[in-house]
Amino acid sequence: MKSKTDEELIELIVQNHRPALEELYDRYVKLVYSFSLKMTKGDGEKTKEIVQQVFLRLWTTKRTYSSAQGKFANWLLTITRNIAIDLIRKEQKHTGAIQLELNEWRQIPDQQTEDVPQQVSRNLLKHQIQEAKQHLSEPQRRLINLLYWEGYSLSEIAELEKKPLGTIKSRLHQTLKKLRNYFSEETGGVRHGK
Amino acid sequence: MENKCENLSLYIIDELSEHEKEQFERHLKTCIPCQNEIDSLQEAWQVLSYDIEETDVPESLKAEVMNFIFEEENSLKTNEVKDKKHSFLERFKLLLTKQFSPLSAGITAVLIMGLIGLLWSNLQLKDTIIALENQSVSPTQIVRTFNLKGQDLATSANGIAYLLQDGRDNSLVIELNNMPGTKDDEVYQVWLLKNGNRQNAGTLKPDENGNGLITYRLPKNHSFDDIGITLEPNPNNTQPQGHKVMGTT
Ligand SMILES: [Zn+2]
Repeated sequence: MKSKTDEELIELIVQNHRPALEELYDRYVKLVYSFSLKMTKGDGEKTKEIVQQVFLRLWTTKRTYSSAQGKFANWLLTITRNIAIDLIRKEQKHTGAIQLELNEWRQIPDQQTEDVPQQVSRNLLKHQIQEAKQHLSEPQRRLINLLYWEGYSLSEIAELEKKPLGTIKSRLHQTLKKLRNYFSEETGGVRHGK
Repeated sequence: MENKCENLSLYIIDELSEHEKEQFERHLKTCIPCQNEIDSLQEAWQVLSYDIEETDVPESLKAEVMNFIFEEENSLKTNEVKDKKHSFLERFKLLLTKQFSPLSAGITAVLIMGLIGLLWSNLQLKDTIIALENQSVSPTQIVRTFNLKGQDLATSANGIAYLLQDGRDNSLVIELNNMPGTKDDEVYQVWLLKNGNRQNAGTLKPDENGNGLITYRLPKNHSFDDIGITLEPNPNNTQPQGHKVMGTT
């Protein structure tokens, strides 16, 4: 199992091969878990629920992942984010109110991590994104936080910010461009493997 | 830049409706500026996900996740049942799983016993039995049960349907009793109902004692809410022409 590529493992999962799922779990749970923990603002129970749903989705997936769809980790995090947002939105409906929390990006010292190349590249990406964020304006940072991490829609954000939707849309475009430009200037681009 | 180009960012963050998404994808095929931008902006959006502090995962989580998945898989079909029927089916499923599950050996015997004395022309059954016998890894489970009751011409008839899950395959086994006999080309036809749509699930003729058995292998991802049975003047109809004589209660 250990020597198999992610793609080969997915292939086995489609054929109902449980050890392949366990191997993928071992490889990616830390990423999925940490990501979910941030989305739920540190709520362990909700995080568990998300992780369960993510791997259930992976297990029941009828579609074969192919490397043409980009890095597996990106694909997995997209699934994780969708599931987390579903959960968050469901709860917002239940509580009936939208809470605005402009929590600052916290900078916690790195924890000890495994010595694997994947870990290195993840840390590098983290470093890049945290650097890039320094170059965003305060409203741009807030937008990313609300949109990406808190799961608000653009129209909800427009309401929260008391700005027309069009303004928020163009702010999004500007923000993505700024991030992209920062990546390509500072690091020679984040576009690998394409 | 055309108006449509504005939707590029919304496309990337997946906030377009299905319709807008299709429109934008059409636009993208012909718009060079958007084509030049999309990959790098998409990457920028995706890199955001790495802005996390990696945390140690609790040791116990793996067992919890795996248990969840492999229990969930077995009850997935049951969970799709509408709330109203939920408690009834839950109860029934519980009862059945207690008594019969796992079924891998038992179900074959039941099916074969049911076969004896039947006027039978359904080849699907053979396939199902072979499939069930060959899969020794995961035992067959009853994931849903339906009670069927006769009406109209077949008031005395009754039956029971089992939705069986074997690994990834779902089969439906329907056992019917006290069915009025059929004449000439007449057959009973089974329909799976979902949101007002009917899917043909095969036909049968009962034996001289009014008993019938039919199995149907469900297409992948196919789900249904109810079962209806009609008396058709002839076989192979894709939509019912005859009267409904039985249905789920
Ligand atoms: Zn364009």
